[in-house]
Amino acid sequence: MQRVWWLIGWRNLGRNRRRSIIAAAALAFGYFSVVILVGWTKGLVAEMIGNGTGVLTGQLQVHADNYQPDKSVYATIGGRDGADIAALSAVMTSDPDVSAASPRVYGGGLVSSGSATAAGLFLGVDPDREVDVSLILNVIVEGRAPSLGANEILLGSEMARTVRVVPGDEVVIVAPAIDGSLGNDLFIVSGIFKTGLVDLDRTMAVFPIDALQFLMAMDANRVHEVAATVPDPWRAAAAADRLTDALAAGEVAVDVESWITLRPEMVEYATLTESFQWILLVIVFGVAIFGVANVMLMATFERRREFAVMLALGTRPSGILASVVAESLGLAVLGLVGGIVVTFPIMVWFHLAPPDMGWLFGDFTMQGALMRPVLRVEYPWTMTWQAALALLITAVAAALYPAIRAGRVPPADTLSGR
Amino acid sequence: MRPTAFVTAALLCVPAFLHAQTAAEIVDRVDQLLRGQSSEASVRMEVVTEHWSRSIDMHLWSLGTDYSLIRIDAPPKDAGTATLKAQTELWNYLPRVDRTIKLPASLMGASWMGSHFTNDDLVKESRIIDDYDIEITFDGERDGNEVWEFTLTPKPETAVVWGKIVEQVRKRDMMPEWVRYYDDLGEVSRSMVFSEFQVMGCRMVPARMVVTPADKPTESTTIIYRTITFDIGLEPSFFSLRNLRSQRD
Repeated sequence: MQRVWWLIGWRNLGRNRRRSIIAAAALAFGYFSVVILVGWTKGLVAEMIGNGTGVLTGQLQVHADNYQPDKSVYATIGGRDGADIAALSAVMTSDPDVSAASPRVYGGGLVSSGSATAAGLFLGVDPDREVDVSLILNVIVEGRAPSLGANEILLGSEMARTVRVVPGDEVVIVAPAIDGSLGNDLFIVSGIFKTGLVDLDRTMAVFPIDALQFLMAMDANRVHEVAATVPDPWRAAAAADRLTDALAAGEVAVDVESWITLRPEMVEYATLTESFQWILLVIVFGVAIFGVANVMLMATFERRREFAVMLALGTRPSGILASVVAESLGLAVLGLVGGIVVTFPIMVWFHLAPPDMGWLFGDFTMQGALMRPVLRVEYPWTMTWQAALALLITAVAAALYPAIRAGRVPPADTLSGR
Repeated sequence: MRPTAFVTAALLCVPAFLHAQTAAEIVDRVDQLLRGQSSEASVRMEVVTEHWSRSIDMHLWSLGTDYSLIRIDAPPKDAGTATLKAQTELWNYLPRVDRTIKLPASLMGASWMGSHFTNDDLVKESRIIDDYDIEITFDGERDGNEVWEFTLTPKPETAVVWGKIVEQVRKRDMMPEWVRYYDDLGEVSRSMVFSEFQVMGCRMVPARMVVTPADKPTESTTIIYRTITFDIGLEPSFFSLRNLRSQRD
């Protein structure tokens, strides 16, 4: 396209500045909407995955190969003989993407105090290591975490309410042991946690791993799970594959699973939101295309006599078309610059200090993950250029029809006022 | 034995089944066989699972369908552990921690002491004839014995665990031979086989019952009655939390 058409197109933007600014602002707002909305959905998904895997699941888990799907209490890593859990954890943390690993024992039974009794899911952890893997010991609202070597127990807030206890109180714990006997003992409530996930707060009781193993007549080297942290959740599947290979050489048969297989509903939701981004892009710029087309139609209609003169003087219709498209592209560039200038600072702001909507609504759950009521934005880098491209395409597409009409203005009729 | 005592004993031992005629009466009699108005028994329970096997010796007391008390005598680790059923409530006494706890409703489907019986099996209070319609589905000879096969289907308004119960009773002495419990889909869920029929406490009873879950055929719970006495005049007050905690047997 010749430089002169660019020049004409650009200068025409200045002919009716107010109209040009409004049209450019519409495009800028479209860009802003798409990028920020996509950033928010990414933030929502990141929050869901972070909390969904962070509260308890961890991003990676190692089990005995027969543990899933029944989760039998007998299916400990290494079977009846157990395994060298420290060595297993060391292999896991040696992976570059794994930052921490923590062994766990699961059981079930009763928590009773006075005349109140509740059925519970029992989790035995090494408190010093569990803090690096899950949030469960970081959401203690009263008291403290249980200590290794002590008959102490950390209860969910709802369960504590059901059995009417506070930290320092004594509870009776009954759990079927793996030798068929009925394990029972007195424990002191060391603290109360609250995740906000009602099921967890109602059913979960956390023990020092050694106390739960003793209660359930399990040897110290028998655990059901080693959970691990992968700081970037999307690298967990690759880490799981590497660990599967690394642990395949060992003596015990294990399964390594990432949250992607443990929590498939979250992956499905993440995929769904990605397809939603495209729908959003089409809707926003679909609306913009009509706005810009309207502006360009008005602009070209006003200049019919000008186009007629140009055509009468020998300008080719393609030149007219080029000048109108150039004008629209100029509008798009203005809109894009405006959009970027507004969007990027807000994006950084909402990423670093997400607005707290707690005044409007409280915590909520999504796909079993607790969500904070914050408008957290994750940087949607791909969408920033995709939206820019969409904006330019929108401008060109919107200008095509007015440009073609402008190129077809009949010079004689138009100049004679007919 | 003095003559009067002998006569009294003979009268008390008159077999009840002489009058049992209808299907419902026979099934009810079998249901009440090991229960009586009140009873006391010494029982061994042998549980075999895929992962462990153990034997538990215990004493049972029962009064009608509402009350029962079970106290474990052995193995030493569990000795003194007791379960009290009073109406619909179930309590456990744990001697190790000297505490009594009430089982929540959510645990009624859980196993009792690791056996293939659930807490619900202990708690179910009504007589079987109140909950099921009964019909004779076989009447004739099987394995050289004249038997009846009864099929029990739940009455429409009752909430029961089983979809259907089928039991076989031999005509000769009205002893149950086996019972099969079906789920709602019509699949066998567990079966119970009775054997070692003998007179205990003036009654002919099956001294041995083997329960096998259908989904784990290698597992079983066997109940062996060593002694049982019936109609010993227990009162509801016997089935108290205080008695649950006491160590006497």
